[in-house]
Amino acid sequence: MENFLQQTVNGLTLGSVYALLALGYSMVYGVLKFLNFAHGEVYMFGAFAGYGMLTVLGGPSALLVPVWAAIMLMFVASMVVASGIGVALERFAYRPLRNSSRIAPLISAVGASFFLQAAALLLFTANSRSYEAPTLIPIESGLTVGPINVWMVRILVIVTAVVLMILLTWWVERSKVGRAVRAVSYDREAAAMMGVDVDRVIVVTFLIGSALAGVGGVMVGLVFGRIFHLMGFVAGLKAFTAAVVGGIGSIPGAMLGGLLIGFAEAYTTAYISSTFQNLIVFGLLIAFLLIRPSGFLGRPELAKV
Amino acid sequence: MKGRTTLRRHSTWRLLAALLALALVAAACGDDAGESTTTAGGTDTTAGSTDTTEGEPTTTTEGAQPVDSCEATVGFIGPITGDVAFIGGVQLNWFNYALDTWNEEMGYDFQMVEGDNQFDTAQSATLAQQFLDNTAMVAAVGPAGSDQVDAAGAVYEAGDPNFTFISPSSTRSGITAQYTGMFRTVPTDDDQGPTTADFLMAQGAENVFIVDDQSSYSTGLADSVEENLTAANVTVTRDSVAQDVTDFSALVGTIPDEANFVYLPWQVAANGQIFANQMTEQGKEAVIFGSDGMDSDDFTEAGSYIAAFAPDISAIEGSQSILDGYLEQYDDTNTFGPPVYAAARVIFEAIDRVCQTGQTPDRANVQAEVRNTDQADSILGSPISFTEDGDLAEGRFFIFQIQEDGSKTLVE
Repeated sequence: MENFLQQTVNGLTLGSVYALLALGYSMVYGVLKFLNFAHGEVYMFGAFAGYGMLTVLGGPSALLVPVWAAIMLMFVASMVVASGIGVALERFAYRPLRNSSRIAPLISAVGASFFLQAAALLLFTANSRSYEAPTLIPIESGLTVGPINVWMVRILVIVTAVVLMILLTWWVERSKVGRAVRAVSYDREAAAMMGVDVDRVIVVTFLIGSALAGVGGVMVGLVFGRIFHLMGFVAGLKAFTAAVVGGIGSIPGAMLGGLLIGFAEAYTTAYISSTFQNLIVFGLLIAFLLIRPSGFLGRPELAKV
Repeated sequence: MKGRTTLRRHSTWRLLAALLALALVAAACGDDAGESTTTAGGTDTTAGSTDTTEGEPTTTTEGAQPVDSCEATVGFIGPITGDVAFIGGVQLNWFNYALDTWNEEMGYDFQMVEGDNQFDTAQSATLAQQFLDNTAMVAAVGPAGSDQVDAAGAVYEAGDPNFTFISPSSTRSGITAQYTGMFRTVPTDDDQGPTTADFLMAQGAENVFIVDDQSSYSTGLADSVEENLTAANVTVTRDSVAQDVTDFSALVGTIPDEANFVYLPWQVAANGQIFANQMTEQGKEAVIFGSDGMDSDDFTEAGSYIAAFAPDISAIEGSQSILDGYLEQYDDTNTFGPPVYAAARVIFEAIDRVCQTGQTPDRANVQAEVRNTDQADSILGSPISFTEDGDLAEGRFFIFQIQEDGSKTLVE
């Protein structure tokens, strides 16, 4: 029971990060019907932005501000940098190809992904960095849940992810821009004819999705410690898997998919073997692509007749 | 119309499935697939003279007079960038230091060509071919890892078995027997595995959790330690995890409560630190023992043990001055550095001996002289001579314990 509880907490933490990343994939797919394969690298830059802010603030062992303020500023820095990169990608790598064949922006996204990896290698070198989160928030701190202790950083990650997802849902459902996003997602041409500024909606979508990825990057830095220039590749693939499993284009689906992938990884490691972790996760992706491409909560695409 | 739309939709998903399959294949084929875009080309570098004259390299040619004309080019292959750049950067520095001090000391002008393999097998093979094609090059130091040695060794063996390459950190047992020109200045896993197992048992290991990182380096070591522990009736639980994973919390959760040691034969030391943090988080009290790949400042878990193929040379009389000279020029060092210096010196001295006999250094006569190496002492504090296969005749591993302040104390 103790192991199950511990693995549930582990899966929930990892799943929260995947969910935030998957939201970016889903939102972009929702409005543009294309996959932003550079999203993992946006998340990586977010992690480095958070690290940069931590360094500016004196580093984990000599912080110039209270810990809570430092973490908030790290989140802000990551959101600013990640959303800036996301918007730049949209403007320079994707918008010029918006009316091309569907493969063109996909290839551009793959190219952008490698470009950002190489840029990070040049900027940050290949050495990995550590947030040294146990110095910021001692590992012993946290909540005791039954027989296990949950580190405060994990609680912070899970709570932050939940709050952001609730805010996003509210924003999409209730705000004017959110409604415009949904309108463009349903039918871009009709939305444009109704006076919706489609370009602006797309930019806002990239901005929000990338900002969430940036937050995810800081979360990973805080809870798992190591950030490096290639960290976005596999994380991006897994978040994409989460988006597909949940139903790509669906915001609740992305959240659900992220959590499911997080739990799948944790329970596979706990009850089968960590060797099979990626096999199970990517096996799920292939299975969903073949059997249920619309995922759990996605809308089947309508065909014009 | 309907058919066309449906077809397009299906095509999109098929395309995605194909892209996914390609990505998985790429990830499966390479050690660090997708991580490098750097050109594999080597860089010609002329060894500049330095102000450092403090090096006191141990050499069998002490007292020999440099000959008027002794020219040679020596290559270096290492992971200068990439995930384990902390290894390659230090190794390159030590190679340059060895070359600079040698040229200054002997009045020679040996040249070097460096190649960054990014710890990638394909890059290693490409660089090996470039080195073979460089007719001025008589020998090389590197690559660092056993997988990369395999890739480069196959190229050397097929192209010119007389080409000598000395690995300063490949420890896989038996690999030297496969390649005529291969030598190494570090001991083998045949030494490390039993040494580790014996040490763990001496520390009272009764239940050991072993996690390999799915590289051949790691699985080989894990197998060796597991075999030795099991033979001594120590309970072993085995698992594995990929090098690019940074969340080990689920894996840590599977460490048996009875386990009093965790053995991590890993190559990314920062991952070891994350593993240690997550053990603390989950209240796991087993002591970590890391292989030589974890011997880095990125792993500082107090109380843990680390195996190292080279001693702390600052504690070796005669090597201290070499270290001081190195540190005047370079900020960073670790245990991966001194074996490079030792390897470079073996090659330089072999070339010198060839020149002393009035011959022009070529790959065959340099290899013959490398084989004859018989250094009574070295920067590593031990003699250097080679077995018939090219292994160190007297290799041994060292075990350190990490202290609260991050320093390491030699315990065996």
